Amino acid sequence: MKAHNADKTCWNCPAAMLKGHVDFRACGQSMRRLQELSEEGEILIRCRRRPELGYFEPTITFEECPEWELTKYGYLLRDMRVLILGIDGYLGWTLALKLAVLGCKVAGVDNFLRRKMVAEKGSMSVVPIASMKERLKAAKEVLGVEIEFRKIDVLDKQRLGAFMKEFQPEAIVHYAEIPSAPYSMVDADHAIKVQHNNVLGTLGLLFLMRDICPEACLLKLGTMGEYGTPLTGRPLFEGLFPADAVLKWRGREWSLGGELTPRDPVSFYHVSKVQDTFNIYEACKYWWLRSYDIMQGVIYGVHTDEVAADPRLRTRLDVDEWFGTAVNRFVCQAILGMPLTVYGEGEQIRGFIALEDAMECMVRLIASPPEPGQYMVVNQVSGLYRIIDLAKIVADVARDFGYYVKIQKIENPRVEADVHPYEVVSENLPNLFGFRPKVTPEVEIARMFELLTQPHIKERIKKLAHVIMPVTWWSGEKRVPEVIEVLEPDAVSKGVYKPVLHTGLKPEVYYSMVRTRKKWRKVAT
Amino acid sequence: MSRTVIIGIDGVPYSLMKDLSDRGVMPNFKELIKEGVFTRMRSSIPEISSVSWSSIITGKNPGEHGVYGFRDIIKGTYVVSFHDFRKLKAPAFWHVYNSKKYILINIPSTYPAQKVNGIHISGFVSPDLAKAVYPPSFLKILKKMDYRIDIDADRSRRYKNVLFRELFSTLDARMKVFKYLNERLDWDFAMFVITGSDRLEHFLWDAYLDENNEWHSPFLEFFKFVDDVIGYIVNNVMNENDNLLIISDHGMEFSKFEINVNALLVKEGYLVLKDDRRRGYNSIKYGSKAFALEPCRIYLNREGKYPRGCVKENEVDGLIDELVNLFYDLRVDGKRVVSKVYRKEEIYHGTYVDHAPDLVVVPAEGFSFNARLFKENVIEKSSLPGKHNEEAFLYVRNGEGVVPNDPSVEDVISIVHELGGLS
Repeated sequence: MKAHNADKTCWNCPAAMLKGHVDFRACGQSMRRLQELSEEGEILIRCRRRPELGYFEPTITFEECPEWELTKYGYLLRDMRVLILGIDGYLGWTLALKLAVLGCKVAGVDNFLRRKMVAEKGSMSVVPIASMKERLKAAKEVLGVEIEFRKIDVLDKQRLGAFMKEFQPEAIVHYAEIPSAPYSMVDADHAIKVQHNNVLGTLGLLFLMRDICPEACLLKLGTMGEYGTPLTGRPLFEGLFPADAVLKWRGREWSLGGELTPRDPVSFYHVSKVQDTFNIYEACKYWWLRSYDIMQGVIYGVHTDEVAADPRLRTRLDVDEWFGTAVNRFVCQAILGMPLTVYGEGEQIRGFIALEDAMECMVRLIASPPEPGQYMVVNQVSGLYRIIDLAKIVADVARDFGYYVKIQKIENPRVEADVHPYEVVSENLPNLFGFRPKVTPEVEIARMFELLTQPHIKERIKKLAHVIMPVTWWSGEKRVPEVIEVLEPDAVSKGVYKPVLHTGLKPEVYYSMVRTRKKWRKVAT
Repeated sequence: MSRTVIIGIDGVPYSLMKDLSDRGVMPNFKELIKEGVFTRMRSSIPEISSVSWSSIITGKNPGEHGVYGFRDIIKGTYVVSFHDFRKLKAPAFWHVYNSKKYILINIPSTYPAQKVNGIHISGFVSPDLAKAVYPPSFLKILKKMDYRIDIDADRSRRYKNVLFRELFSTLDARMKVFKYLNERLDWDFAMFVITGSDRLEHFLWDAYLDENNEWHSPFLEFFKFVDDVIGYIVNNVMNENDNLLIISDHGMEFSKFEINVNALLVKEGYLVLKDDRRRGYNSIKYGSKAFALEPCRIYLNREGKYPRGCVKENEVDGLIDELVNLFYDLRVDGKRVVSKVYRKEEIYHGTYVDHAPDLVVVPAEGFSFNARLFKENVIEKSSLPGKHNEEAFLYVRNGEGVVPNDPSVEDVISIVHELGGLS
C-alpha cells in the first residue's frame, strides 16, 4: 500500500522556496511573497536541497523525490530540521527523541517554566527526570542522537528569532504553552500569566515564521477542550465545518462548509488556546503560513521505545491537581491506595490517546506538511471514554498489580457538564495520515503500573499524596471538594450517553493494529 | 576608439515604432532614422523573449543555444524548469569578447548574472535581485536606487493606474542606474533593455489601436518616455562616432481569441491527464501522444524520452502529419487560427535540436495560444489584448551596407561585428 504522503508534492515540501508568480502570457513576473494563487501566473519555486534543479514547478511527489525517504510513518524528509518549542516538557522531550531516532535534526528551546510551576505547587515529576544537560548526554550515549538545545523563553522574540534564523526549521512543534486549566483558574495573576504566555508567545512566533521560515509547518497543540461539550450533542468536527454542513434560519439555508466551528472553551487556559486558533488561522490567511492545529485528547501514559531506553531519558509525569491529568492521577492514587476521584458524576466524556500513539500522530503530521496557506485541524484521539469508565479500567488493571481501590465521586470544582452527549469526528488522522491506534488504555495503564510501582518512584508518589486532590475551584474557592459517593469499581453504572467517535473507518479497520490487554498479559508472563 | 550601445525595446513591432515616430510621439527616434537603417527584423521561432534574446546575445539558432522557451521539461521527467542563464549552450557575446568592458542592464533570460568584465544586471525572469547582479557588491547601490527587475505583473494586471506607475518608476530607476554607471565606469559596450514596453502592449494593445480608449494617451506617454531615454542616451551618454543599435526581440499585435492548446490536444485524444492539478505535467498519463509548452510548442510523448512516453519512432511521422493537419484545420468563426506550423527540422539546426519541440505553431493575427494545463475550453476570449508576433525591428546608425536583407535576431551580433563594435 502506498504511504499516506506519497502523492504530496513540492507544493507541500518545506524545502521548496516559493519565489513568486511568472505570467508567461504577459511576460511578467511578480516576486512579492506569495499569498495567493494567480489566475494566470505559474508558481516558481526553488529547492533548498536540490539547487541543481534551478527554478521549477512544484510538481515532484515525495515518492519521486530522493530527499524524501520511506519510513514506517510515511515518507520523511531526510535530516528534516524540526524545532520543538517546550522541549523539556512531557510531550516535547518524548517527541524530540522519537524524531531524532528517525533521523530528523532536532533542536529545542525551553525556559524550564513547567519545572518551576510544578515546584510552585510543591510537587515534582513522579518519574525522576534528568537535567537537560544530562538528557542530551544520555540521548547521545544511548540512542546515538544529537539534539541541539537553547534556553530561551518563547516570549523573547529577539533570541528566539536569532535561533530560528540559525537553525532554519522546516517544521516547528509548539509545545511551549502552559497546559493547565486549573492553573489558569487559581487567581488573576495565574490567568494572566497563562494567557500572556500562550497567546502572545504564539502570536510572536507567527510573525517570526513569516519573516524567517514561511515555508515551515507550524504544528500547534490545541485541545479538544476548545470545543467544549455542546449539550445538543452536535458533533465536534475537525475545526472547520464539513462541506455539507448547513445553517438553517427562518426558512433559509446557508452553507457552513469550511467555516470555523463554534468554540466553547471551559477555562481561561482553554480560552488561550481558542485565541491561538484564531491567530494561526489568520496568519495562514494573511501570509500563507501553513499549520496543523492539533486538538489533542487527554494524553496519558509513560511509554515510548525511546524514553524507556534509559532512566535518564524518561519524560516527566505529573500528578498534582494543576498538571496531573485524569489517568496519570488515577494510577498514582491506586498505588497510594487512595480511592480514584472523579468530579461530580464522573460522566464527563473526553477523547483520550496514549503517549505512544500521540507521538506517532505527531510524526505522521510532521512528515506530511500542509499546503501554503493551509490551516488544518486534526482531532487527535484514539478513543472516547467516560472518566468514570477510565477509573474503572485503572482499578481493574491495578488489581493485576495487587492494588484494590474504590472509586469516589467528589464535588466538581469546575464549571462543566457532568453528564453530556459527546460525538467526535476524528477522520483526518486515520484517513489522510495513515494513523491507526496501537495502544489500548489497558496496555498503557499496565505499563504505567510497571514503571510507577518501582520502589524509588513509589516513594516519590507517597511524598506527593497531598497535591493530588483538587483545591482550585472555578468559583475562586480554595478547598478540597466533599466526597459524594464511594463505589466499588464493579458498581459503575452504564451511564446516560454513549460516546460516538467517527473515524471514517470501520472499527475493525481503525483498531486493526491495536495491542490488546490480553496480548499484553501474554507478554508480561 | 568607438564604443557600442544596444538599446533593446522589448516586444515592439516595426509598425509601432514607425507609427509613433511618424506621429511625433518619438521625435528622437524619428531624427535617428534619418541617419541609419530602420527595418523589420524577424524574431525567433517561437517569437518569445527568452528565445529571441538568447539568439540576439549569442548570434545563434535555438538548436545551437538550446533555449526554446521560458520553460522546458527536465530530461527524463515531466518536471518543468525555468530557463537558467547557466544552461545557455552558446556563450553570450560578452563572454566571448571579454577584453571589453561592459554595462549590461536588464537583458531578459540572463539570470542568474554571471561573472563579466563590467556590470551585469539580469532581466525577466529574475526571482532574486541579489542573484541578478554581477558583481554582487553592486546590489546595495541598486537597492538604494529602488531598482526593480520588472513591473509587478500581478498588480499591474489588476489595476491600470498601478501599471503606469510601475512602468514609469521602473524605467526611471533603470535609467538612473545606467547614468550612474556611465559616470563611473570606463566602458566599451553597453546594452540597455527596456521591458516595460512589452508589458504595456500586452495589457493595453487595444488602447493603442483605439484613440478614444481612456488609456490611449497614457500608452503614448510611456513611449514618449522611452523616446526621452533614447534621446538622453544618444545625446548625453554616447559620442558621435559610437555605434548605436536599437532593436526589439519580437513584435505585438491584437489578439481576440485564445486557444488553449493542451485542451485541444485533450479534446482530440492526443493528451490524457490525471485530474491532479498539483502535479502539473506529471499528470500526463500513459497513452498520451503529445503535449504543449507555451506558447505553442508541441512535444511528442516519445517512448524512452519521457517516463510515460508511448510514441514509438515508427509512429512519429504519421503523428506529426496528423497534428500539422489538426492545427491547419482549426478555425474560429470561419477564420484559420494558425498561420504556420513548423516542423523542428525546418527551423532548428545545431547540437541541441534533439531537445527541441517537434512542432512550433504560429498563430494567425487575432489569435494567441495558451499552453496551461487543465483548461476546460479550447477557445476563449483572449485574456490579454496584445500578443507576440514575428515582426521585430532593427535600427542601426550608419548601418548602410552592414544590415543584411531580411535580417533576423540571429544577425545582430554579426552586424555589431561589421561595425567594429566587437573587434
